[in-house]
Amino acid sequence: MAPPTAHPMLGAQESCWVAPGRLVAAAGAAKADEFFFESMTCVDRLDPHGVFELIYTFNRFDEPARVAVRVWAPQDAAVPTLSGVYGIAAWNEREAWEFYGLAFEGHPYLTWLLLPEGTEFRPLLKSFTAPPPSIYDDSLNPSAPAGDEHEHADTGH
Amino acid sequence: MSTSTPTPATEPLDTYTLNMGPQHPSTHGVLRLKLTMRGERVVAVEPVIGYAHRAHEKMAENRTYAQFLPNTSRQDYLSGLIYNVAWVEAVEKLAGIAVPERALVARVILSEFNRISSHLLWIGAMLLDLGAATPFLYTFDDREAITLLLESVTGSRLTYCTARFGGLSRDLDPDFPRRAREVLARLKPRWDEFEGLIEDNVIFRERARGVGVLTVAQCRAWGVTGPTLRGSGVAYDIRKAEPYGAYARFAFDIPTRPEGDVLARYLVRVAEMRQSVRIIEQALDALPGGAILTEGSIGVRKRLKPPVGTLYYTVESARGAYGILIVSEGGTEPYRAKFRTPSYANLAALQDVMPGTMIADLVAILGSVDVVIPEIDR
Repeated sequence: MAPPTAHPMLGAQESCWVAPGRLVAAAGAAKADEFFFESMTCVDRLDPHGVFELIYTFNRFDEPARVAVRVWAPQDAAVPTLSGVYGIAAWNEREAWEFYGLAFEGHPYLTWLLLPEGTEFRPLLKSFTAPPPSIYDDSLNPSAPAGDEHEHADTGH
Repeated sequence: MSTSTPTPATEPLDTYTLNMGPQHPSTHGVLRLKLTMRGERVVAVEPVIGYAHRAHEKMAENRTYAQFLPNTSRQDYLSGLIYNVAWVEAVEKLAGIAVPERALVARVILSEFNRISSHLLWIGAMLLDLGAATPFLYTFDDREAITLLLESVTGSRLTYCTARFGGLSRDLDPDFPRRAREVLARLKPRWDEFEGLIEDNVIFRERARGVGVLTVAQCRAWGVTGPTLRGSGVAYDIRKAEPYGAYARFAFDIPTRPEGDVLARYLVRVAEMRQSVRIIEQALDALPGGAILTEGSIGVRKRLKPPVGTLYYTVESARGAYGILIVSEGGTEPYRAKFRTPSYANLAALQDVMPGTMIADLVAILGSVDVVIPEIDR
């Protein structure tokens, strides 16, 4: 599936679309050219495109040369990890995994970074709209039985 | 390559695991460092973060651009004004909103005061980590003068929300330049005093020199920016590299040190405060008159709909390059907002720096990069 070329990217000196399979080579070339890893963003474009858009930005310390590398990754695509090229990519990829469910091939330690360990929902997906019901909090669950034993104990009823 | 690795199922018998934090005075917030130790020496570090995660990025998707304003300064509460201005300037750029000259210069003045107050707090907290309690009292005294000045303009002491799309919420009062100059006059002799109190202190020098050396190659691999990078000899400052707001019209230097150790990071920050004073003095002299907010209906801004597109906007916060990526689909809310926070990368890089050091040095190294945990966790 071809990415939309009309969606403009502002604030970057250069911007290009890269296929997932060529991502590691692109990052390797950036590293060889003394670029640093600036940021990585995952965007939910499942509705209507059925893909995730990944935006990596690389930049240089000596001159402004922001390069935005954009990847159009189908939901079940195997996106290769960049953690072997840039160390910080490991954390950014863990974030994309925990918030979107996007798996990275070859990642050494793909686990929760910001969310509590064991979190099963993917909060940055557009389909995620409500807080998950919690066993400790009945306020979101109107069918929970009214009243509480401790309250009754306090008031003596 | 040393990315964080899972603890092996069978630990070697000569090492042990030590948890530093999440509640520890030297972690500056809720940060847990999972240390693999061999005696007093650090073998591996795994920062465990996320304790202060508040889902700012999800909140941004569910609020209008204006409604998100109060969130901005709550990411990095020590240089919140800079973050507040960054969000406003990013949206202004995306939506093509003009800003009056007076507001642009006023933003620079307020941002630089905020930078000094952040650095002052850092000096106090960092030296407290190293066992020196006195500097903390000095820096907080000075910081209070700045806090009072900023409070008189913004109404807040910590979580500033004063920037608006097209200007500032309130004008600087006619007396502001006089009070600002008073604060500067109070601060300027302090740098020399700090030199005698801190830099000439042999205990501090010995604990800081040659400790936690960060190379330029490591900075590139981990995306380290800000004073931490400049302490490794790289003159990279967004205010010069990609001048934003009114910064291009003021003369200032980018202090660097080649050593890359804890002492270098300290010296860079102190030198930076002198440069901030330089910027503020020029900005006060050049403060134009006129409106502080672009003419036009505030109501329109509340229902702001920037055109479809993706924007990456970056500013220099007190800790390094703060990037905002906004994806607009033409709606009243951002389709996606990503915050590239400087401490995130600076902390991650320590996984590469800390192994091999003594545990007492680890405290000095962590203090020297000036991490703000809520900014990492967002």
